[in-house]
Amino acid sequence: MSLGRRLRWVRANLAACLGLVLLAGVLGLATLGPVLHRGDPWERVGRRFETPGGRFALGTDHQGRDVLAGIVVGARTSLLVGVAAAAIILVIGVTVGAVAGYHGGRLDEVLMRVTEFFQILPAFLFAMVLVAIFSPRIAVIVLAIGVSNWAGTARLVRAEFLSLRERDYVVAARALGVGDARIIRREILPNALPPVIVNGSLTVGVAILFETGLSFLGLADPNVMSWGYMIGSSRIYLRDAWWPVTFPGLAIAGSVIGLSLFGDWLNDVLNPRLKERRQTA
Amino acid sequence: MRAPHRPRLAAVAVAVLALASILALPVTEAAAQARGGTLKMSYPEPTHLNPAIVSGTPTGIPGVQLFAGLVLHDDKFQPQPYLAERWTISPDGRTYTFHLVKNATFHDGKPITSEDVKFSIETVKANHPFGVAMHRALEAVETPNPSTVVFRMSHPNPSFMSVVAPILLPVLPKHVYGTGDDIKKHPANQKPVGSGPFKFVEWQPGRHLILERFDKFFKPGRPYLDRVIFEYITDPAARLAAIETGAIHLLPYNYVGVGNLKRVEQLAHLGVTTKGYEAIGPLFWLEINLRKKELSDVRVRQALNHALDKQLILKDIFLGYGKVADGPLVSASPFYNPKIRRYEYSLDKANKLLDEAGYKRGADGTRFKLVLDFIPGTADTQSVGEYIREQAKKVGIDMTLRASPDFPTWAGRMGRWEFDLSLDAVFNWPDPVVGVERTYISSNIKQAVWTNVMGYNNPKVDELFAQAQREQTLEKRRAIYHQVQDVLTAELPIIWLSEIGYTTVWNKDYDGIPTNIWGTMSPFDTVHWKKAK
Repeated sequence: MSLGRRLRWVRANLAACLGLVLLAGVLGLATLGPVLHRGDPWERVGRRFETPGGRFALGTDHQGRDVLAGIVVGARTSLLVGVAAAAIILVIGVTVGAVAGYHGGRLDEVLMRVTEFFQILPAFLFAMVLVAIFSPRIAVIVLAIGVSNWAGTARLVRAEFLSLRERDYVVAARALGVGDARIIRREILPNALPPVIVNGSLTVGVAILFETGLSFLGLADPNVMSWGYMIGSSRIYLRDAWWPVTFPGLAIAGSVIGLSLFGDWLNDVLNPRLKERRQTA
Repeated sequence: MRAPHRPRLAAVAVAVLALASILALPVTEAAAQARGGTLKMSYPEPTHLNPAIVSGTPTGIPGVQLFAGLVLHDDKFQPQPYLAERWTISPDGRTYTFHLVKNATFHDGKPITSEDVKFSIETVKANHPFGVAMHRALEAVETPNPSTVVFRMSHPNPSFMSVVAPILLPVLPKHVYGTGDDIKKHPANQKPVGSGPFKFVEWQPGRHLILERFDKFFKPGRPYLDRVIFEYITDPAARLAAIETGAIHLLPYNYVGVGNLKRVEQLAHLGVTTKGYEAIGPLFWLEINLRKKELSDVRVRQALNHALDKQLILKDIFLGYGKVADGPLVSASPFYNPKIRRYEYSLDKANKLLDEAGYKRGADGTRFKLVLDFIPGTADTQSVGEYIREQAKKVGIDMTLRASPDFPTWAGRMGRWEFDLSLDAVFNWPDPVVGVERTYISSNIKQAVWTNVMGYNNPKVDELFAQAQREQTLEKRRAIYHQVQDVLTAELPIIWLSEIGYTTVWNKDYDGIPTNIWGTMSPFDTVHWKKAK
């Protein structure tokens, strides 16, 4: 590998490296954070609005609570909400997309009209309405994010299935008398998965942003510390203290950018055609 | 020969000064009476403009500009003439006779008569949320002549003088509102014909409400302002910018945002006052569902009270605006008892009381669980909830906050008694008969928010409140209400937290913003624009 090619390789993967580092940071914060920085994020430990770098590395909020403790505990909440909501999105999206794409015909028509119904609803407003109706609890918030965001994934999976279902190996399996469920699971799905996985990693980021947005509007679970909650409860004091809003904001930005870059990288790795193009470049 | 000149010079100077001061006096008075100017204010938009059938400030503030009442009050709760130029109360305290000012007219030019007053009080009694509480004793209204109205009571009714102010008894034109239509849906609620200093011009929903000086207002020379405009600015940041730049001139009821008050106080052109809320008497408290087993024990309630540092809530969450509250009456009330029982902040005492009540800590340090509700919408309220949850944890009570997405959800939970504890804000109003007894008397245990939702039932308290309604002298009533406060603070059906420190922010180009007990729920006929010529 010449120097120029190596540099190009590094440059091409710089974004991926950054993404992986950010993601590792968030995961580390969620897993090791509580060990490294003990503290109840709800407890009043200092005075109101102590500046960062003093007794508390990231300062205190309007109730004298440690911002760093909130960031640490909030990392867990944000990741949990992100992953759980993404799982719901994948389960609904893949099921609907696979069934519609594989069977086609009337069933496809019906399922796609339902999907369109969810697609045309502004996802964030829909999630807001759900949380408002069923009261802001963390389980409701996760479900609301899942239910309002699966339509895109279903469309993606359906498209993959449409293009894969007439492939020779699928036709062969069908000729052998293999059942539909088995064909879907064993033959088509593994081949349709790469774009779904990429989409899934981006979905985690979207879900984190949704939780933040809901919290920002006051629809947070008041018993669960999250980054969105921290921003939502402190933003009215922004002109007096920037740190209770800025640090969770940075944390959210970091994790969403990390997930997004990670998704791009996954896309490169999992997409064979892109891989060839990169190697011939 | 110079010496004699000096005294002469001095004498001339004194004379000139004296002349100037004599001349100056009428000059300033003329300035005070100069008409002109537009007062712009911002406040939440009401659903309609008829204060006779709804309570609340969004309707109330424009409502008292549009409608006059029988009396006003000074800043010591003393009634002052308004639409009634004088009144008499019979020695048995059962007959109130009011003599209306002659020549008073409605905005459509028709005279204001005793018939209109009769119609108005009957409308209030039948439709206003406190109608029955205010006028329970009212038996008959007589109108011997157009300028005399007589109210007959079934028993002495000393709170009556405080409920005939314009906000609680707006005088409506019978010929407009008394057409037999359902008053709650009357078209004039949106486009009123009033009796007050300002008349209705235009209401563009979501934008503004414009009121204009009524030239035939019954107080000569008043009002001074040409117009009063309500600008509906819903964004708090835009509102702050508007008052800072002088685009609006008045923000009452903390509408500037508590967090912004410190900044506003620094600005030379803005005034900030906490006066003018004495008759509102806003209290912030923790409501207790006494049907819940643990909470039915007075020691548990006392423990909760001991576990809360009210001073800290006031200082850190309400930023020092307001006062600590330890009882059911606000300290500005003439019936306030300063010697009530107070529960000082002490986690030790709280823990001890809970041990005594038999709730020992379990293996995880928890004694029992409670759920805490709170009125949605204000950040401060939730902050207090979070503080209480943490304090409860320190004394072994596992408390969770339950958020309500909107007001009706919360009000429904209160009304169905589906709560353990809830943070709530309730107004005292000018007399305990209107705003205090409703929370504690057993006949008001109702499935509705802002009643006795706690289920508090003490026959002695019922009896004392009933007695205080009938006593005529302030001293006797005060003695009874002092007893009520003693009983309630011992039994703690509610844990009172703070008197909400409402503030009015105004632009100093204007003076005469009302600071009597009703504050900005008084007519603005006294407001004067200093730059008017």
